[in-house]
Amino acid sequence: MDDILKELSQKEYKDGFVTEVEQEYVPKGLNENIIRLISEKKDEPRWLLDFRLDAFRKWQRMTPPTWGHLKLPKIDFQDIIYWAAPKRDEDRPTEIDPALMETFDKLGIPLHEREALAGVKPRSNVAVDAVFDSVSVATTFRKTLEEKGIIFCSFSEAVREYPELVRKYLATVVPPGDNFYAALNSAVFSDGSFCYIPKGVRCPMDLSSYFRINALGTGQFERTLIVADEGSELSYMEGCTAPMRDEHQLHAAVVEIIVEKDANVKYSTVQNWYPGDAEGRGGILNLVTKRGICRGSGSHLSWTQVETGSAITWKYPSTILKGDNSSSEFYSVAMTGHRQQADTGTKMIHLGRNTRSRIVSKGISSGFSENSYRGLVHVAPGAQNARNFSQCDSLLIGSRCGAHTFPVIRNQNPTAVVEHEATTSKISDDQLFYCGQRGISPEDAAGLIVGGYAKEVLARLPMEFAIEAQRLLSVSLEGSIG
Amino acid sequence: MDKVYVIGRDAIPQFLRMEAGEQLRMTFVALPGTTARLALEVEIAGPGCDLDLAAAYVCSGCDDLRMNVLVRHTCGGSTSRQLVKGLADGGSRVEFDGMIYIAQDAQKTEAHQESHSILLSPEAKVEARPQLEIYADDVICSHGCTSGFLNAEEEFYMRSRGIPEEVAKQLQKLAFLAPVMQRLPEDLGRELYESIS
Repeated sequence: MDDILKELSQKEYKDGFVTEVEQEYVPKGLNENIIRLISEKKDEPRWLLDFRLDAFRKWQRMTPPTWGHLKLPKIDFQDIIYWAAPKRDEDRPTEIDPALMETFDKLGIPLHEREALAGVKPRSNVAVDAVFDSVSVATTFRKTLEEKGIIFCSFSEAVREYPELVRKYLATVVPPGDNFYAALNSAVFSDGSFCYIPKGVRCPMDLSSYFRINALGTGQFERTLIVADEGSELSYMEGCTAPMRDEHQLHAAVVEIIVEKDANVKYSTVQNWYPGDAEGRGGILNLVTKRGICRGSGSHLSWTQVETGSAITWKYPSTILKGDNSSSEFYSVAMTGHRQQADTGTKMIHLGRNTRSRIVSKGISSGFSENSYRGLVHVAPGAQNARNFSQCDSLLIGSRCGAHTFPVIRNQNPTAVVEHEATTSKISDDQLFYCGQRGISPEDAAGLIVGGYAKEVLARLPMEFAIEAQRLLSVSLEGSIG
Repeated sequence: MDKVYVIGRDAIPQFLRMEAGEQLRMTFVALPGTTARLALEVEIAGPGCDLDLAAAYVCSGCDDLRMNVLVRHTCGGSTSRQLVKGLADGGSRVEFDGMIYIAQDAQKTEAHQESHSILLSPEAKVEARPQLEIYADDVICSHGCTSGFLNAEEEFYMRSRGIPEEVAKQLQKLAFLAPVMQRLPEDLGRELYESIS
C-alpha cells in the first residue's frame, strides 16, 4: 500500500513550466479603480464599464458559497492581481511573441496557421483562440471562418467590432449576480473567446479556446460567449494548463452558450490545470460557472468534460431547456488524486415541452482525494413529456479517498419521467487476476479497466481531445495499483 | 425486530444504533391527509447487521410530507436496504432526503437505496435527494430514483380486456405499492388499500 501511495505522489504534471516573458500588471487588489483601470486598458465602451461596476457592487454584498463538499482555503481577494498580460514587442506589433509561440507549441496547441495552410505541417482542422493570462494572444483561421460568416475572435475584439452582438447576448444566461464567483468574473473578466455562428451555417472546423495561466500571483477570469443561431452547428473545445507553484491561483471563468432553434452545439473540455503536489500544496482553484440555454425549439446542447486537474474544482455545466423539443446531454469523467477535491455535476432545467436530457457522470478517486457529483434535474410544471436519465458511477482506488453523490430530482409534472441511478465500486481483484493471467501488468490492467469504465464519455470527445484525455487518465493512474 | 409506523400518527424514534449482528426491519406508511416530517438516523456500529427500511406514501390534497433518512455505516461488514415508494396526487408536496454514509474503514459494506414516485396531478410536486457519501473503497453501494406516471400501455392492456379505467388505474397503483404493502399488517394494509380506491 505504501508503495502505491508513494508512486501515486510521483504522478508528473507535464505542463508545469513557466514562460519567461515580460509582463505588465495592474496593481494587486480589487476596488472600483482597478475595474476602471482594466476597462480602460481594454479600451471598453461605457456600457461595459457600467456592467462591470454593477457586478462588482453586487459581488461586494455576496458571500462565497459554502454548500460544496470542499475544504476551500480562504481566498484573499485583495491579494490577487486581476490583470496580467505579456508586453507587446513594439517592433513586431502584428506577430506573436516567439516565446509565447514556443509555449503554445510545447503545449501542443497549433498556432502555426500559415504553415498549416501552406501544407508544411499536417493540416490542422481546429481553429484556436489562445489566451495567455489576461489576454488573447492569437486566434487562428479567422479568415477561413469569416468566409462562412462565422465570427470567432477574442472577447475584447468582439466588444470593439461587434458591440451590438455582445451587448445583446452578454449575461443573458449567467446574470452578473448569479453567484459569488460569476459576479466576481463579471466585474473583472479579462479576455476569453467570442463565437457567433450565423443562421444555417455548419462550422467547417472545430473551434477551441486554450487557456494558460503563467504569471505569479494572478488569477484568470476569462469569459466565453458562444451564440449558435438558427439551424447552425458547432463543436467547441476548451483546454487549459498552468505552471507548478506552491501557492493557489484562482480561476473563475464564465461560459455562456446560447443555442437557437434547431441549432446544435457540442462543448468539450479537457481540464488539466495544475493540481497541486502530493501534500496538497498549490494548485489552481477552479471555480467556474458554465451554463447554456436551448432557446429555440429542437435545439441541442451537449457538454463533455474530462476533469483531471485543479486542486479544487467547483463546476456545474448546466442547461436550461427552454425551447420545446430541445435536448441536452452531459458526459463527465472527473478524476482526482493526491489531495485534490472535485465537486462537479450538472443542472438540467426542463421548462419546454418534450425536452430531454441525459447525464452520464463517472468519478474516479484515488489517494486522499474527494470526488463528488452534485446535480439537479428540475422539471417545471409546464414541461410536458419531459424525460431525463442520469447515471453517476464512482470508482474508488485506495481506502483513503472519498466518492460522493448528491443529486436533487425535482419533478412537478405528471407527464414527465425522471430516472437516476448511482453505483460505487472499485477495481475488483477478479478483474486484475483475469488480466494478470493473460500477462497484462497490474498497471496496464488498471488502465484498461478505467478506460473501459470511462469509455462512454471518452467516446464523445472530438478526436484531438480523445488522445489527450486517454494520456491524462493513464498518467494519473500510474502506480495506483499494486 | 419488525416494526411498522404510520407517519404523523405513531411516535417514531429519531435515532437508532445497531450493534454487531442486530437485525432491524422498519416500515413506514403515510396515509392521505398527512402533513408531517419523518427524521430518522440509523447508525450501524457493528459488523453483521442487517437493516431493512421501507416506506410507502399516498399523498393528496395539500399534504406536505418530508422524509429525512440517514443511514450511517460506521463499521464495515453490514448491509442496509431502503425502499421508498409513493403516489403524489392533488397539490401535495413530497420530499425524500436519503443519505447513505459510509465511514472510512467501514469495508465490505453493502448499502442500497431506492426511491420511486408517481405523480398523479399537475399540481403535485416531488423532490428526491438520494445521496451517497463514501469514504471506503471495498463496498457495494447504489441508489436509484425514479419519478413518473401511470403507464398508459398497461392501462390500455387492461381496458382492452374489459377492465374499467378506474379499476385499471387502481390496479396499477396497487401493483406499484405492493413491495411495501406486503410488509404491512392486515388492518393497515386495508387502510392503505382503501386510500387508493
